[in-house]
Amino acid sequence: MRMNWANIFLKDMLLFKRRLLRLGYVLSTLFAPLLYLVAFGLGLGKQVAMRQGSYLDFLLPGLVAMSSMTNSYTWVANSLNMGRLYFRTFQIYLQTPVSPWEIVAGQTLAGMVRGLFASSVILVLGLVLGSHLYLTPVFVLGLLLNGLVFAAFGVVVGLKSKSHEDTATFTNFFILPMAFFCGTFFPLDTMPWWAQKVIHLLPLTHTNRLLRSPVWGPETMVSLILLTAAAGLCVALSILFIRRYSE
Amino acid sequence: MIAISNLTKYYGNIPALEDLTLEIGTGEVFGLLGPNGAGKTTTIKILTALAYSTRGSARIAGFDVVKERPQLKPLIAVCPQEINLDRELTAFENLWFYGRLFKVPEISRRIMELLEWAQLEQRAHDRVKGFSGGMQRRLLIARALMSRPRVLFLDEPTVGLDPQIRRQLWDMIRQLQAEGITILLTTHYIEEAESLCDRVGILNKGRLIALDSPQNLTARVGGYVVETVNGARRSYTLEKDREAAYARAREETAGVLIRQANLEDVFIQLTGERLSQ
Repeated sequence: MRMNWANIFLKDMLLFKRRLLRLGYVLSTLFAPLLYLVAFGLGLGKQVAMRQGSYLDFLLPGLVAMSSMTNSYTWVANSLNMGRLYFRTFQIYLQTPVSPWEIVAGQTLAGMVRGLFASSVILVLGLVLGSHLYLTPVFVLGLLLNGLVFAAFGVVVGLKSKSHEDTATFTNFFILPMAFFCGTFFPLDTMPWWAQKVIHLLPLTHTNRLLRSPVWGPETMVSLILLTAAAGLCVALSILFIRRYSE
Repeated sequence: MIAISNLTKYYGNIPALEDLTLEIGTGEVFGLLGPNGAGKTTTIKILTALAYSTRGSARIAGFDVVKERPQLKPLIAVCPQEINLDRELTAFENLWFYGRLFKVPEISRRIMELLEWAQLEQRAHDRVKGFSGGMQRRLLIARALMSRPRVLFLDEPTVGLDPQIRRQLWDMIRQLQAEGITILLTTHYIEEAESLCDRVGILNKGRLIALDSPQNLTARVGGYVVETVNGARRSYTLEKDREAAYARAREETAGVLIRQANLEDVFIQLTGERLSQ
């Protein structure tokens, strides 16, 4: 049986390891969530009264979800887009005995690992700063699904964007609004009802809900189902786009 | 080994390739010659699963290039025009990951064998980003050979290389030819096509305008060329043999150069344009 998804994944992991050894790279990757954690969590957070726990307790799961989203997505979208348009390393997979699902699996897994790495750093730092959260199976499952959704979305964007600037456009229109409006920094019930309806359609909302849920419940199940559906949709689209790929 | 029938590719309304029909035999070195935009790379992209044709069909080793890609891909290898090596990986790692995609047996031994063949064994564990253009090009060909392909596609294999490295690569291609690998190469270098190819197809604006061995093609337009140099103007006359060329030269009052005809002259004769434009 061919295991070419593993070869693609291993190659990306080797490249990731090499980049991790560059201090500037790691710092630039984690800079934004660390900034939010310190500025909002420690600075502004002391002025904010929450119904339950501290603002830092509320913020940390949101930042974990956000860094998982941005890192999973950015790694895959950028490496695929650059590999396809500039370095042309993506074309190697199309011209060798690798099937579309193997390309998607390898790339997506690599994006998930990258997202998990970034979110783990934020998680550890938040805990060191005194935050409390529920590290439950729901939390872990939510984080994994979140990585899967956004890494697969990264494959879609990496395949469809016509230039590197296009990737930035997708980031500005899809990723950035989610980071701000899906419950990372403030509870959704403070938003107007119509905005809440829209926000409930976005996957990061459900990741935030899962990461803040201490136990299984009907709401958790709905979020799990919706995240799984979003992941399935992105994976299916990625495979379809690779099958139809033509220069 | 390769059978192409009415292969056509349009980008919007613009034809990149129109009704290309040809057959390439096993062990043959076939050259697609033509200026930039003639349709050479488009042909390779369609044959190597990188593009779908608008119409027409092609088979390699009996397999349809669209419908039977999983069966076809293990048999072919591509050395693209652009150097698409992973620059952050070493030469060894580049070949290793590529070889793993084909399940190459005894992979480390095969890698060292090819690195030695490409004269890169001393740089096996150096990252590719530090390699010169010639070294990267040699590594690219070595990578294409990892899977012992039956058909090798070389898209402008020597573009941008200095003459010495180019000749080194020609020797490598001749070795592959001796091993019986079918090679389809594209080039816009006349000397390359004449030196390496058993047969040449000349493409212009997406159409195949001539197909034969380099010798037959040049013989068809006349064996000799009389170039008349008059200030900045240059005119060409094709003559059947050396005597006819001398006779024509004697008639000229300006500077005259007599040389053997080449594929560039064939192209000029067929299109009225220079190949290198």
